[in-house]
Amino acid sequence: MTITAPECLLRLYEEHPDLEDYQGGAPRWCAGCGDNAILAAVQRLCRDEALRPEKTAFISGIGCSSRFPHYMKTYGFHGIHGRALPVAEGVRMARPDLHVFVSTGDGDCCSIGAGHWIHAVRYNMNMTVFLHDNHVYGLTKKQASPTSPRGLRTNTTPRGAYLEALNPLTVTLGVQNASFVAQAVDWIPEILYSIVSAAFHHKGFSFVRILQRCPKFLPDLFDPWLHDPQKVLVLTHDNGLQLSPGLAKVHKNRREHDPADLDRAREIASGADPIPVGILYRNPGVPCYEDLRRSGKLRTGAFVRAGLEAELDKFTIWPQGHA
Amino acid sequence: MSETLAAQPVENAGRQAPSPASGKAITTLSEHIVEVISDSGEGAQVCGQSLGAIAARMGNGVWTLEIIPAEIEPPARSTEGASGSRIRLGSGRMTNCGDQADLVVAFNEQVLLARLRAGEFKPGCIVLLESLWRTHPDKEIAASYLQTHARLAAAGFRVYEVPMERECRSLVADARRGANMFALGMLCGLYSLDLRLAREQVARAFGSKDAGVVAANVALLEAGHGWAEAQLDFKFRIPALRSLEPQIVVNGNTALALGVLASGMEICAMYPITPATSASHYLSNVFEKVGGVVHQAEDEIAACSFAIGASYAGKCAVTITSGPGFSLKQEAIGLAVMGEIPLVVVNVQRGGPSTGQPTKAEQGDLLAAMFGSHGDAPKVVMAASGIEDCFYSIITARKIAETFNMVVVVLSDANLATSQQPFPRPKFSEAWMAPPADQSAVPEGARPYDWNALTGLARRFVPGQPEGMHTLTGLAHDRRSRVAYDPEINEEGIHSRSLKLAALQKTLKTPPVFGDPEGELLVAGWGSTQGAIEEAVGRLRAEGCKVSSVHLRFLQPLPPGIKELMQRFKAVITIEGNWCDRREDEIIDEGNRRYSALAMLLRSRYLVDVDCWSEVRGQPIKPGTICRVIREALERNREAARR
Amino acid sequence: MHSELQAQLAFHLTGVWSAGRPEASDALELRPALLAAYRNLSRLRYDFPLVLARNAPHGGAVQSLSGLMDRAIEDAAPRDGEGERIRGHVLRMEQAIRALVAAGGGGSLATLWDTAAGRLESSGEDLLADSLSRARAALKADGEVLDCGKAMPARLFEHAWRTVQESKARRFREDIDRLILRLSDILAAGLALSEEGRSPERLRAEVGAAHREAFDFEAMSRLLAGSLPKGTLPESRRRRIASLVSVLESQRFFPAPGERAGGVEPYAFVFESCAAALRAFRERRPAMIALAQAVAVARLEVENEYVESKHDAFFEEFGENVLGPKGVTLFPDYLVRIGAADMQAAGHAGLMEALGAGLPLKVLAQTDDILDESPVRDGQLAFGARSRQLAAMAIALSEVYVLQSSASNLFQLRERILRGLEYPGPALFSVFSGAGGACGELAPYLVAAAAMESRAFPAFSYDPSAGEDWASRFSLENNPRADLDWPVHAIAYEDDEHQRISEELAFTLVDFVGCDRRYAKHFATIPRAMWNERMIAVPEYLVRETKGPPEKVPCLPLVGRDGTLHRAIVGEKLIREARRCREAWRSLQELAGIHNSHAERLLARERKAWEEQRTAHAAAALGPQPAAEAPAPAAAPGVPAQAEPEEERPRDEPYIETPRCTSCNECTQINDKMFVYDSNKQATIANPEAGTYRQLVEAAESCQVSIIHPGRPRNPAEPGLDELIKRAEPFL
Repeated sequence: MTITAPECLLRLYEEHPDLEDYQGGAPRWCAGCGDNAILAAVQRLCRDEALRPEKTAFISGIGCSSRFPHYMKTYGFHGIHGRALPVAEGVRMARPDLHVFVSTGDGDCCSIGAGHWIHAVRYNMNMTVFLHDNHVYGLTKKQASPTSPRGLRTNTTPRGAYLEALNPLTVTLGVQNASFVAQAVDWIPEILYSIVSAAFHHKGFSFVRILQRCPKFLPDLFDPWLHDPQKVLVLTHDNGLQLSPGLAKVHKNRREHDPADLDRAREIASGADPIPVGILYRNPGVPCYEDLRRSGKLRTGAFVRAGLEAELDKFTIWPQGHA
Repeated sequence: MSETLAAQPVENAGRQAPSPASGKAITTLSEHIVEVISDSGEGAQVCGQSLGAIAARMGNGVWTLEIIPAEIEPPARSTEGASGSRIRLGSGRMTNCGDQADLVVAFNEQVLLARLRAGEFKPGCIVLLESLWRTHPDKEIAASYLQTHARLAAAGFRVYEVPMERECRSLVADARRGANMFALGMLCGLYSLDLRLAREQVARAFGSKDAGVVAANVALLEAGHGWAEAQLDFKFRIPALRSLEPQIVVNGNTALALGVLASGMEICAMYPITPATSASHYLSNVFEKVGGVVHQAEDEIAACSFAIGASYAGKCAVTITSGPGFSLKQEAIGLAVMGEIPLVVVNVQRGGPSTGQPTKAEQGDLLAAMFGSHGDAPKVVMAASGIEDCFYSIITARKIAETFNMVVVVLSDANLATSQQPFPRPKFSEAWMAPPADQSAVPEGARPYDWNALTGLARRFVPGQPEGMHTLTGLAHDRRSRVAYDPEINEEGIHSRSLKLAALQKTLKTPPVFGDPEGELLVAGWGSTQGAIEEAVGRLRAEGCKVSSVHLRFLQPLPPGIKELMQRFKAVITIEGNWCDRREDEIIDEGNRRYSALAMLLRSRYLVDVDCWSEVRGQPIKPGTICRVIREALERNREAARR
Repeated sequence: MHSELQAQLAFHLTGVWSAGRPEASDALELRPALLAAYRNLSRLRYDFPLVLARNAPHGGAVQSLSGLMDRAIEDAAPRDGEGERIRGHVLRMEQAIRALVAAGGGGSLATLWDTAAGRLESSGEDLLADSLSRARAALKADGEVLDCGKAMPARLFEHAWRTVQESKARRFREDIDRLILRLSDILAAGLALSEEGRSPERLRAEVGAAHREAFDFEAMSRLLAGSLPKGTLPESRRRRIASLVSVLESQRFFPAPGERAGGVEPYAFVFESCAAALRAFRERRPAMIALAQAVAVARLEVENEYVESKHDAFFEEFGENVLGPKGVTLFPDYLVRIGAADMQAAGHAGLMEALGAGLPLKVLAQTDDILDESPVRDGQLAFGARSRQLAAMAIALSEVYVLQSSASNLFQLRERILRGLEYPGPALFSVFSGAGGACGELAPYLVAAAAMESRAFPAFSYDPSAGEDWASRFSLENNPRADLDWPVHAIAYEDDEHQRISEELAFTLVDFVGCDRRYAKHFATIPRAMWNERMIAVPEYLVRETKGPPEKVPCLPLVGRDGTLHRAIVGEKLIREARRCREAWRSLQELAGIHNSHAERLLARERKAWEEQRTAHAAAALGPQPAAEAPAPAAAPGVPAQAEPEEERPRDEPYIETPRCTSCNECTQINDKMFVYDSNKQATIANPEAGTYRQLVEAAESCQVSIIHPGRPRNPAEPGLDELIKRAEPFL
């Protein structure tokens, strides 16, 4: 039911927020750090969607990326290493009225939190997850992460990383109930923004892997891709990403990809060079765990009392003569 | 506790009177301990639970204890497969499983041996033994049966062979399955229980199945009753004290789950682990009916983090686990402490360390609960002292957690988890329920950690509150919740979080003393041992010993007045189910003796010389054992005094 | 011309018989031949009786007995011999139920089923019980069984109206219940943080009985009061919310399912007169406004969006407007059931006024007799004038949903009835029951059906919500052969030589009037002997242009009980009335776009024009061919579809490709006066003067996405320029 009056009213008094309304503490990331680009894109999203800061929560774990909530002027939860997702799930289950975002890194999500990551995909709770993937541990000073390319020299792999890198996209796409998987790079802000926005609008677990430069420990890791647009494969589609004319001129290496096509998505995800960028997979049909679990019943005191008394009845021994 | 159930001396106990039905003499008793044991899957537990329920409905005091095999499908006729239950029936209120059994029904001689070795049977105990095996085609089996039978008789047990299987065969297809109801009928006959109530109970037990099943089991019940009346030359009566108010009969885990319902909490996150899981089983079954959710997380850490997320978002949540899971949660618990997020953690203790004894009782996690997380992580620790306490502890824990923004750990154990005892049906009050999250705008200038100088308390800001935006962090933080590395700020945070325990302590009352307020010896205990300790103290006081006991519900903070209380006694000893070094060991002396958890706490906090006794046998500590321990302690102290 | 015929003509024109009087048509219980087939309805399977299904899914609220039975057979009977057996039994059951209902037996399907089953099974036929029990299990719905009688329309409409109102109520209740809970939560949260919430008593109540002795609640209360700030719920807001809750809880418009709404008696919404309904509506209006306002404010409150400085004043003035026309439609509609006949001119005006005002009225105007004397007593016939007028006026109001139908057709129109009841605005349902009682033993269903067949009471609907134009709003479907003046039926009989003759015959108003005793005097049956070729069928007669004295006489085929065919001459008044009826029907057809005169005229003109053009072309074709059109000028090569802004810039001006900036702070750290972020936190050059050329070049070098273009140095005096210009090269 709608009573029209207050709707007009709200519109009457609607405020139009600007970026400052979502800017928290000044970022402490290094100059040139890709996280800055992600922060800018997300703050733009909040402004353009006019999200109410008190109804928005950014949850993170530990690592450079997980400082993210501190730089937002919303509610934030900067928890413990690897556990951002279960915390966010709890928030989501308790408060369907909040917008829930998760910022996590390649160590936080793909290493110590890998178990949670797999299951979070399966729960498909409605939240937007940004995997800040810079291929290295930054906060603890340059150790190899699961996504470090083989041979990368770090303090724990002085003779080069021993193993092939883990591919977060193929892993996510391999999990039952995956409903939104996309990849962006921090150095193409326009695409980053449109993917962040698409992820936000998807109802379900929106997983966005963002390749992110670490100027401090891996200053030139991404240079080849940075300087040659041909090395970025842009996935476009009517139901997916669309490029502005300006960008279309720069990025000629494009491919039509329908986000509904899972097999094709998996095939594309497995390629690392050129880097696929765009929406790999989207399935709005996957049910959200919180919707499956929350009854939607109104939990009034009387309602709870009735439920409890009914249970107590099952175990009650009435004095003889009573029953 | 309801007055109407208070134990009373039963007149002319032991006097014999002729039974109206058969000419048999009926022996009147004040209490009796019965065990029904079988291979697992033969339904001895259903039989025992039903017997308990029937007696309880007649107004008897009852305590039932499950005898659980360690494995899911242990081999048949094996000692380790012993499965069943112990039922302690009495005129008064029964607060523990008692000492040794007076009467046992065994479905084969092997399971009997297991309990025999454990010393669970009273000398001269009545044994009703399934005679099926005597004529078993397998020579070895028959032999083993005859041998055991002979040994029992020789050892002075009153053995009666009962052809349960044969008697049942005429009534049901699968006679082995029917034996448990036959046994129930027998026991109802032997203890002069009301057959009408018994029929109702059977109907309830099989209510979910169709009428045919119920009818068949009632037939078995009556057959057993008839057989006992006709074939057995003895019969008991345990006078009951009518209870005037409704009681509920549940085990400790069900009580915990009901407590969660009553506390108004909406979300329980858990991961399967013995012996805690049955609480979640029951909760999963009923929670959704009141709009709640039981989330089975991918692991213990996720379960705790999920609960923390829900609590942070304004819906105080609970996570239920046992020892190993509790260890895994410790880092997350530390986060809740640092962020001052209310959280209820239930630890149904089992034998440790490591995987230890999953199905057995122990009180080994007290110190882990208090000091588990790294760094200074003050949290509240409570211990449920009985079945009823399991219910109320959750309500109290939720209330404290949200009032003080603290983690509250509730300790139960495998003994409470599976034991049943009637207690007054709770009268639900909507005031027990968690208040809805405050969503009103935060006043100008208020900060998320405005620690009060006196109590360290601060009002938390919940997502959804305008102007309350901040980022909660596990890092050291200032009053604005901003990450801070300054020495003052770090110290201020730790200081304030610690003050909250002191503040809570100021709201507690000194626990009551059981017995006189002064005397020779004070026995201190915590958790599931209350019933056994007080029974033992009661017995010895009846003999004139100057012993009293105190039982602690709050272990962190300890309530006020404990020191004064202890000082009114010549000596203090704790009785606990966790390890303490034994004086008699040659290598042990005051310099290296490890004390039991509570003893250690009392000694360090009050500088009082508190002694301790403990056992970690995985079984509930028996009142008889405690009597022995107290006598020895009294003796030791007198010795010391003389020297 | 001989006297027979003169007499006949005379009767036709005057209704008076000059020569010897033949038998009167009613003596033989004659009825129009076209109705001969339907003597005993209860032997037939048709739409009636209806089953008013209780709590059925929307749409299934009104069902026909036959339909229900067929579905039961579908589900219960396998496609085999056994299935046939069940089918047979179930059809007999239906038969039996029809008989019961026809005999005036009412009640729910279930009870009727039981009675009927009792009777059938007494026959002791084996397996009958089995068939019936299986069918019964498969029966989809239960509810009142209703035959097509005088009371039927009122009952049917009340049932349909309830179904619609219930779903409306469900939606509304869910909404306010949720609001009430969320408002109460605000109060509860406030209480928890208030002094009262921290009183020893309250704290004590929050702990379970068995733990109360463990706490010193006085101390706890002191401690909390002393160290925690008090609640943030301002008194004014607390009071406002409390009053909202009480308004929402005490509302009487939507009863809570089961229990009575907050202990107050819910309003009634069914009325027997417009005046009464209007009175009720006016009385309740303040309550409606209060409730609507409460809901509006509550919505703001639960979202923390009620700002006293903004909203207090607003809602004070708001009053009426909070309840726009849209708001009104959220409340229950008023069902008004009136007899069109006994409605005086005043009531008539009142009705139109009410409908015109767009009030939420759903009016059922029932007519039992459309052949009564015209209101103007001049001996003229004016059949159905009143109801025609009613519908026409309502349609003229243009925002009213209008549906006209005779009772016989209501089942076919059930969807439209529901749509009308759901229509957000007033609705008028004009129904002819056929239960006037002037048609002897002819069942009301048949009378109603005949009224529609004969166009005396056509079925139509006007749905303002269906679209902008008449084509989408107005519909004549459900009328038989809506494209013709009269529907045509086959009639078969034997002539004197027992030759089987069958002919097509149109069903006209005259056939309908022929059923009505009161108009017997307008018919004169002619003995077979006197039949002649000048006697022609009414439809045929109606299409003849009659100038001067008629040489033919219209007559109507009738049948008696025994099934013998008779013919009756029809009085001229009736013929005139039939013509009038046909004209009325034709104008309806025009509204429905059938034979629309405008359209046809337009069509004719267009065709004419087209013809002429074609001939003209044909003529032109003989002349010289026109030159081929010149090709469009090709686009100049090398010019891009869209010029890139960068290339237009003079290359010596420094600039940044801002859209590609990754907000990485490199340049802003070099000089935050020169480089600043725009509203999207992307870098621009605010002021090239704010720094040195060196800084521009360094920024260009440090920018990882190389989007900074330093341009040319502005200050030739700047040291080290040559080297800098070299370094700038790659970035120009």
